[in-house]
Amino acid sequence: MEIDRRAFIASLGGAAAVSLMDHEAKAEALEHYMEEQLDEMVAAQGQGSGQPEKFPTVAEIEAQIETRPFRRGTGGVFTGQRGQNVKKLEPMPDKPTLQDFFRLRFAPANHVLQSATRALKTGMSEEIVLACLLHDCVLSLIKPDHGWWGAQLFEPYIPEKSAFAIRYHQTLRFFPDEQAGYEYPDQYYRIFGHDYTPPQYIQDTYKMLKNHKWYMEPRLVTVNDLYAFDPNAKVSIEPFQDIIGRHFKQPKEGLGYDNSPSAHMWRTLARPDNPL
Amino acid sequence: MPKPRSFCALFLFTATVAVAFAQAGKPQTVNGLEMTVTSVEKMEKASLRDCPPGTNTVNAVQRPGDELAVVTVKFKVLPDFKSTTMKRPTVTAADGKTYNTSVQFVDVGSVPEYSCSFPFRVAAGTTLKSLQIETATFDLAGVAK
Repeated sequence: MEIDRRAFIASLGGAAAVSLMDHEAKAEALEHYMEEQLDEMVAAQGQGSGQPEKFPTVAEIEAQIETRPFRRGTGGVFTGQRGQNVKKLEPMPDKPTLQDFFRLRFAPANHVLQSATRALKTGMSEEIVLACLLHDCVLSLIKPDHGWWGAQLFEPYIPEKSAFAIRYHQTLRFFPDEQAGYEYPDQYYRIFGHDYTPPQYIQDTYKMLKNHKWYMEPRLVTVNDLYAFDPNAKVSIEPFQDIIGRHFKQPKEGLGYDNSPSAHMWRTLARPDNPL
Repeated sequence: MPKPRSFCALFLFTATVAVAFAQAGKPQTVNGLEMTVTSVEKMEKASLRDCPPGTNTVNAVQRPGDELAVVTVKFKVLPDFKSTTMKRPTVTAADGKTYNTSVQFVDVGSVPEYSCSFPFRVAAGTTLKSLQIETATFDLAGVAK
């Protein structure tokens, strides 16, 4: 695959931002970039050929399970990219902050940074911007039910509305709402199968959410949940420092060492190479 | 005096330009942003790129019983443009029903000129009457393909 060096550097926030990244972070960012480029090319081929793209069925996706040495739900820090070996992770500081996790475990985090940037630019509330910033971070730890896991991870530190939005964006992703500006993405036909029906607990959760006074909180996360990779977008955590400062209760002991209900999850993220 | 063949070509060119102009509709300006509807098309798949467009890879796909009406609008940022948050456009069908798009305005003044495509999921066979962007209303009757 040919890489547009300038576009790649721009996507990371420019040459200055790249110079601050270590080799590990650069390698990861490049891998992520290539993955996204590939998705884009596949999507463009589907559009350009004049033929409607053929999406897999649930059965076809299930048939792939035994072709992999890992399960699709494994968190990002536990697997190498496309069958490659994992790389040594930089140790976390003694008292890690959210920003440390963004830099050392969630990086490059383009997707969540882009989602939050969009929420910020379209004038959404700070609780929603924060929820957008954090909504998929837990994918580094685990993927199935990431809404619930993600809410649990952040719940001790963020406003109730933000946690609610993170928990239930996963459910609302499956249900389009044109009125609110959310379309069912074609990517879901690709990753779940075009004949996929969400399980009963997701449907029951949706029924509950439809009548909930906070329905729009997770809905606005889905509206900003772009699955995008824009080579011209300059995303960084900098524009969100104030919002994090105002709404994220950073524990003085450091994330993972404050004895909160999710402290163990942060420790697992910090040391994913521990055998037990 | 042009020869008959050249005259014919000139006539065809003029006619094409005239038709294109008629389809393009009349530009309208809101808050220093000039907008012109250039086309309305029915598509099976439509990109959900924001406006101005980035390189978002997410698409909307037609479902049984509905179709995606994609309205394309050309934008020009004029010197008196004032940065503001803009609401998503809506379309009104001939039967009076209003539809929303998932495409959002983000950083409208960041590029001097651009074109955006707004997909609207409508019931199959729906005829669109007008497009609304902020206080501007565009007649789509003559533009729809």
